[in-house]
Parts: sequence; C-alpha cells; structure tokens
Amino acid sequence: MTGLGRSASRRSGPMAGEARWAWLVLAPTLIGLAVLSAGPIIATLGIALTKWDLLRAPTFVGLDNFAGLVTDDRFLKALRNTFFYTAVSVPLGLSIALGVALALNQRIRGIAWIRTAYFLPVVTSTIAIALVWQWIYSPDQGLLNQALGLFGIPAQNWLSDPTLAMPSIVAMSIWQGLGVNVIIFLAGLQAIPEELLDAASVDGAGRTARFRHILLPLLTPSIFFTGVLALIDSFQVFDQIFVLERPRPTDATITVVYFIYENGFKFFKMGYASAASWVLFLIVAAFTAVYFKLQGRWVHYQ
Amino acid sequence: MTTPARTSARAAATRPRPPTHHRRTIRKALLIGLLIGGGILMMVPFLWMISTSLKTRAEVFATPPSLLPASPQWQNYPDMWNALPFATFFFNSAKLALLNTVGALVSCSMAAYAFAVLRFRFREPLFALLLITLIIPFQVVLIPNFVLYRLLPHPFSASGNWIGTQEPLWVGAFLGGAFGTFLLRQFFLAIPHELADAARVDGANPWHIYRYIYLPLAKPALATLAIFTFMWTWNDLIDPIIYLRDISSFTLTAGLALFQGQYVGKWPLLMAGALVSVVPMIILFVAAQRHFVRGIAMSGIKG
Repeated sequence: MTGLGRSASRRSGPMAGEARWAWLVLAPTLIGLAVLSAGPIIATLGIALTKWDLLRAPTFVGLDNFAGLVTDDRFLKALRNTFFYTAVSVPLGLSIALGVALALNQRIRGIAWIRTAYFLPVVTSTIAIALVWQWIYSPDQGLLNQALGLFGIPAQNWLSDPTLAMPSIVAMSIWQGLGVNVIIFLAGLQAIPEELLDAASVDGAGRTARFRHILLPLLTPSIFFTGVLALIDSFQVFDQIFVLERPRPTDATITVVYFIYENGFKFFKMGYASAASWVLFLIVAAFTAVYFKLQGRWVHYQ
Repeated sequence: MTTPARTSARAAATRPRPPTHHRRTIRKALLIGLLIGGGILMMVPFLWMISTSLKTRAEVFATPPSLLPASPQWQNYPDMWNALPFATFFFNSAKLALLNTVGALVSCSMAAYAFAVLRFRFREPLFALLLITLIIPFQVVLIPNFVLYRLLPHPFSASGNWIGTQEPLWVGAFLGGAFGTFLLRQFFLAIPHELADAARVDGANPWHIYRYIYLPLAKPALATLAIFTFMWTWNDLIDPIIYLRDISSFTLTAGLALFQGQYVGKWPLLMAGALVSVVPMIILFVAAQRHFVRGIAMSGIKG
C-alpha cells in the first residue's frame, strides 16, 4: 500500500540541491563513522600488529600478539569464563523470561505493577546492582548465606570459590536482564491472534498441546531476536566483572572484555589488548553468523 | 477486530463445563500467586539495599541477622553524601546525560532524514556501513578511540590532550550513532511522502521539511531515543573509568566504583550510595514506562 502510493506520487526530479542538503545533514555522522566507529575497526587491526605502550613509538611485531594470546593462561581463562557465561546465561535467561512472559500475558488488574517489578533492574546501573549483589553474596553475613543457613546449608564463598564464582555472576545477570526479554516475548505473545488458540481449544487441544504447537512456533521469531541480542551482549560482559572481580584478584571471574580493559588501560599494552579485542570480535561474528544460518531450521515466520 | 467469533467460542468452551471453570479459577489464582512471589523475589535486592542503608554497622554483622533496622539510621545518607563529592558526581552525570541526549537527537535525526527521505549517491552503501557498526562490539573501537582522544589537543587539560577531560564522554554523541539513526529512519519511512511533496510545492527546502514536518511528527520516536540515550549515559561505567582522572570530573558510576574501593565492608553507606544513584533512573522509568516498553519491544535495546 505504502509502496504503491509512493511510486505513484514519486516526484519527477530531485529537490533543488537535494544531494547537497543530504551531505550537509549527514556530515556529523560521516565524521563519526570515519573517526569513531568504522575507521577504528580497521585501526584496531593495525594496532594489534604492534607493540605499543603509548609512550614510545609503536613497533611492528607481526602476529606476535595473537601468538601470545594463545599461550596466555589468563586469556584462555577469560575465554573459558566468557563461554561459560554465554552458554549458561543465554538459554537459561531466555527460558525463564519465556515462562514469566507466558504468565504475565493476561488481563489481570494490577499486572502492570508486577511487570514493573520485573523490569526495574533493567534501568538500574550495573554498578549499583553489582554492589548490592556483592553484599548479598558476601561470605560474612550476606543475605544468601543467611537464608541458606536457615536450612542448615553452610556458608559459601560465592564470588571467590572458583566453581561458584561464574554461576553466581550468571545468576545476577539473569536477574538483571530478565525484564528486557520478558517485554520482547510479551510483544510477541500479544501479536498472536487469539482466534488461533481458541480454535485449537475448541478442537480439543489441551494447554500443553496449544503451547507446543501454536504458541511456541509463533514465538520463534521473538526467541530468535532476543537470542541474538543476548548472545552478542553476553560476550561483552564487563561492568559486573569490574565491580565484583576488582577487590579480589583471583581471576575466578575474569572475562575477555575485562582482560582487554586491564591490558589496555592498566598495563598499557595497546597492541596486545587490540589483538584480544579482534579475537573477541571474530568469535562474536562467527557465533552470530552460525546462529543466523541455523534460523531456517527452527524459526517460523508467519 | 472479529470478536464475535472469539467470544462465542469462549462462551461455548466455558459455559457447559463448570468443573473446568472451577479448575481454571484455581489455576489462575496459583499463577497470580506465583507471579507476585516472583515479583517480590525480583524486588529482594532493592529491598535489601534499602534495609541495609538504614542499619548501623553493628546491625549489619549481627548474629542472628535482622531483616529490618531496629531504628532507621537516616544519618547514613548525609554521611554517604559527604564521604565523597556526590553532589558533583550527580551534576556531572546529569550534564553528560543531557549533552549525549541532545547530541543523539540532533545528529541521528539529521542522518535518519537523509537516509529516509533525501536522494543522493552512495545512500545505500553508506547506510549498510552504518548498520555494520551497529553489530560490532564496542570494545573493538575502545583502544583506537582512546588513542585518538590522546592525540587531540585540549586547551584546558593537564595532559594537553582529551584524556582526563569529560569531552570524550559526550562529543561523540554529536557525531551520529548507528542505533538512533536506524530507529529514526524506520520511523521517518512510515511518514506519508505526500506531506513533504506538498510542502515542496509551496517552496519549502529540504531543511524546512526536516524541521517542520519530519521532526514534529517523529516525537514518539525521538522521546524513545532520548530516554534510552539518557539512561545509557547515566549508567555507563567503562568510559568514565577509562577517560576521567580527576575526582571533580567523575560521574556517579565512577564515583560509586571509587566509593566501593574506599569503603570496603561499610555496607550501610555503600547501599545508601547505590540507592541514591538509581533513584533518578527509577523515577524516569516510572514516568516514561510507555516509552521504555515500546522502545524495547521495537528494538530489543537495553541498559
């Protein structure tokens, strides 16, 4: 409809000086692309091939930085932690969000208030949230240990125990990000025509059958969409690590972005940090590409 | 649309079977209970933050622990506020959030207008390039940006360059942004073309059409972009800790990070600080909930 109207009424020639106006209003964006976003992507690759502490001139070292990363135990640990974080937080976070959205998707008075409760952590800064969770997880008198103590479970070092540290951070992040995914799922659920569900129940489909054969397939575009956002986002986890890792340099929760931050801005190894950021970039790109490639197998567009 | 069919189907499904109806009520009650329980669980960290902020230090570490302070220690708030220059942090955060919001609104709306309405060479490839930068993780450009700001001379900074000043935290907002441009372009594309054509016949130039037709009509999308930009800047941590050096230039997030390092274990004060820093965002959210929800449903962006 819009397309037809547009082509029918499309004016014959451009406005006077239209292209000139276009370049004028685009100028800020073009400068930004060149010096702040697109340009620097290339520059990072260049810096990654050098050894550079910002004080002396950079020296070209070829692929040494990349070779160094492969044998750097801290980097490998950061990679492992980041993968763990992604592999657990994305599917678990999406499943919980889907359950909450299904439950929230009904007309009950006061539902807006409950929705607000789920959404509040999203607008709150991660540093404030991480501070509270640091206190909840605190080994001395933290809320979690106190609560578990009621059931006779001994106190744990949630953030410094190597096996508990990453799961603790994942739990906090799922809590914080839940609201975003719930809202996207709710939007997806509200777009599903109720006639479809009613027709199915008239035909005798039970609750489970309706969920499996109608709701879930129709929600796959929303699941795909939240999935790609969560995937890209989870590889970039930094704020909570910065707040929770800094006081205890045990590396139990070091992630790739924290590694980049530390090498770049604390040790001033610009080349090394750039190489790490390119590795991360390639991993994210590869995962995103595979994810998009697989969507044909499970995503149903109406 | 087409409600009669649905209501009759529903009536047919519920009316003749009272047991099912009964079970449905129970199920609904259970569900609501579960939802409220979940909602409370979601609020626990906030409630714990409030409760701790009003306790004495002795209470915090007391056994058995107390859920609520015996008598609220309101003094914790002025103590926290004066421990570090929090008024300055507030001012800096507000200033930077406003500058970023204005910058994003101006530069993104202009670029979006060009991409949606104007015709010029390289329009499609340029837009594709912009979209690519939307997908690329921020840390890939972190180091070149730092290097760039280190090369730029600055008349008032101790280092002589932009490091240690607040400029790297807002100047970029005036140089466009992939997300905002994409959001506004989609909105501009939905505005009927005939409006601009009519204005053109009356002698309006492209700038007039942008200023007097597209901008006023795009108010909802502009509001969404403004709120998200404000929130992102307010909550941003990595840029302030990388670029700011002097405590008088710190934002609330950088100030809280410093506070955390200096007041280890002093949970009442730390919680008071965290709470004070999140209150503006909670007010903004409650006031503009509609825009938040629509913005997220539309684009999936978050804080």
